[in-house]
Amino acid sequence: MALASASDIVGARKQGGRLVGLLLVAIPVILVAWMVIFPILSAVVTTLWQTGSNGVPAFTLKTYQFFFSDGYSLANLYLTLWTTALCALFLLVICLPIALYLRFAKGRLAAYVQGLAIFPLFVPSIVLAYAFIRVLGPNGMVDILLNAAHLPKIRTPYLTPWGPLIGLVWDHIPLTVLILLAGLGAVSDASIEAARDVGAGRLRLLWNIILPRLGNSILVAASFAVLGIFSAFTLPYVLGPAAPEMMGPFMQRTFRDLYDAPNAITQAVISFFFCIIFGLFYVRSIVNNQRNR
Amino acid sequence: MKRRTFMISAGAAAGAALLPRTAFADANRIDWYTSSDANVTDFWTNIVVPKFVAANPGVTVNLVDTDAPGLQAIEARALAALANKVDPQADFFEGSEARLPPGALDAGLYVDFSKENLSNYSKLNPLAADIPQNITYRGSQVLLAYDTTKLSPDKAPKTFADLVAWIKANPGQFIYNRPDKGGSGGNFVVRAIWEANGRDPSMFKVDNYADATGQPMLQKGFDILKDIAPSLMDQGAYTSGNTQSIQLLSQGAVTMIPAWSDQALSAIKTGVLPATTGLVQLTDLALAGGFTKNTIPVNGLNKALALKLQDFILTEEIQSAVITELGGFPGVSWDYVSKELHDKYADVIPASIPTWPGGDWDKNMKDGWYRSVAPNVARS
Repeated sequence: MALASASDIVGARKQGGRLVGLLLVAIPVILVAWMVIFPILSAVVTTLWQTGSNGVPAFTLKTYQFFFSDGYSLANLYLTLWTTALCALFLLVICLPIALYLRFAKGRLAAYVQGLAIFPLFVPSIVLAYAFIRVLGPNGMVDILLNAAHLPKIRTPYLTPWGPLIGLVWDHIPLTVLILLAGLGAVSDASIEAARDVGAGRLRLLWNIILPRLGNSILVAASFAVLGIFSAFTLPYVLGPAAPEMMGPFMQRTFRDLYDAPNAITQAVISFFFCIIFGLFYVRSIVNNQRNR
Repeated sequence: MKRRTFMISAGAAAGAALLPRTAFADANRIDWYTSSDANVTDFWTNIVVPKFVAANPGVTVNLVDTDAPGLQAIEARALAALANKVDPQADFFEGSEARLPPGALDAGLYVDFSKENLSNYSKLNPLAADIPQNITYRGSQVLLAYDTTKLSPDKAPKTFADLVAWIKANPGQFIYNRPDKGGSGGNFVVRAIWEANGRDPSMFKVDNYADATGQPMLQKGFDILKDIAPSLMDQGAYTSGNTQSIQLLSQGAVTMIPAWSDQALSAIKTGVLPATTGLVQLTDLALAGGFTKNTIPVNGLNKALALKLQDFILTEEIQSAVITELGGFPGVSWDYVSKELHDKYADVIPASIPTWPGGDWDKNMKDGWYRSVAPNVARS
């Protein structure tokens, strides 16, 4: 019996396959490098290399110095950091119980809860903003219901820093729930059962079994939330106060109304810098997780 | 393997077929760009273009709504095209300003309408006169819209001092939007600045701003606004646009707002604002308004057609439609409008439309408002 050559089974085009793979990934990499990385570097260079008062372009940090010495700009930055941190916190506090419920519950009610949790994904932000004004705004639906129940009128969060916060949390619930739910899928039923057999209560189950496995997902969910919310525009623009404003509307106003490109790009670079810190922290944790596996 | 290669190449071919094709200008297709709101684009789509195309068979008009920064980008591209002698792919700019982008006027990008012999050129309203590269066809003015069920028309304030007194006597019932987010709030801020500087709009010209003299003038106006701030809705919850202010008035959250005449009239017509909404203009010095300017690039492929379009929108038919459909003021003198319209809208026809210059005054007014007036909100 003659053995067929190994190439019949393994395939003779291994080298060719590698080239095709590289070619396929080359196109998106080139696009990202050309349309994302290059403009970012170009923008950073624009802020650092400007024409001085004598008309000669030189290296300068004057736009950054202005930003960090300007109380108004710093107030906007603090508001953005405050909103982002609180949003991330609220998202985790709200979405973790929902994800846990969806993981362990069965039946029709769970399906409805899931549908309701995913619903904000299909609502465009601008529709959400105007609906928010109608419901939570002055003389809105909430006011009417409270009035009908003879309850005291609550102050509307519309046009306060809490307005965009509520809107952004609502808008990011579906993504966070989905990510946490995906992470919970890695927690096997067997380990839960085993822990229950040994007599672990619900809280201990959560703390010792589920949360350690979920660490990565929580990190991913927090990253999506932080990176998305930091430069959010629509909801802070429509629902937020005039001052302080979040970085998104602030950058747009500096660029469009003041025609002040260098300062607008500086604000963008500073936002980018904050997001990168978080991004690096996230990447480092993922890499550590990969290594531990 | 062979099937996989086939699938990959088929996918690549399909992807290539879906790639956007480069666009070129077309003879007999006017590329029209605007910075104005959706109500204007609707007006053009439903009224102006069908009539123009009916009068000029074989011509199409491509309407593109780009918003102000987008329009500037297209104009900048036209300016670059002028320098490189290529096709700018643009024929008509609505809601434009010939002084922008910087350098366009000096480079001669825009058509000088005084030399073009448009048949309706002499009918233009002299109040709208500006440099000859800017031409108008519609105007609007900010006025005060209020709820007549809560404030009877005979008690509505008619001077700025009355308005301030009314605001302080009725805390929480007035609001205006941030000046850069909408002209209604913007022109209210401007009116406060005029009030603080002797009610003389001619002190503010496009080219006479200087930080040393301008800042104190603006600050005096901001002081007036800071003074009324605690009596505004929620002690200074400035809305983020013309539409949001109208929404609050329709919800009954406030009693009075500044509003653009055309937006207010359209809102009443469509039922967004109730029919009990009253409109009033200040009599000591009216709130600012302006005429929307159009410009035509000299290097557009369809320049002659674009000029014909500009002439067409100054005819009586379209000018009447500007009043009835858009709720704006005509660009031609009111004498060239039908008498019944003239009489019907007599109470919103202004004797004067004071204007606020663009450029440095506008920039500093807006930024100054954000820095001086907006943060002084006592939230407790």
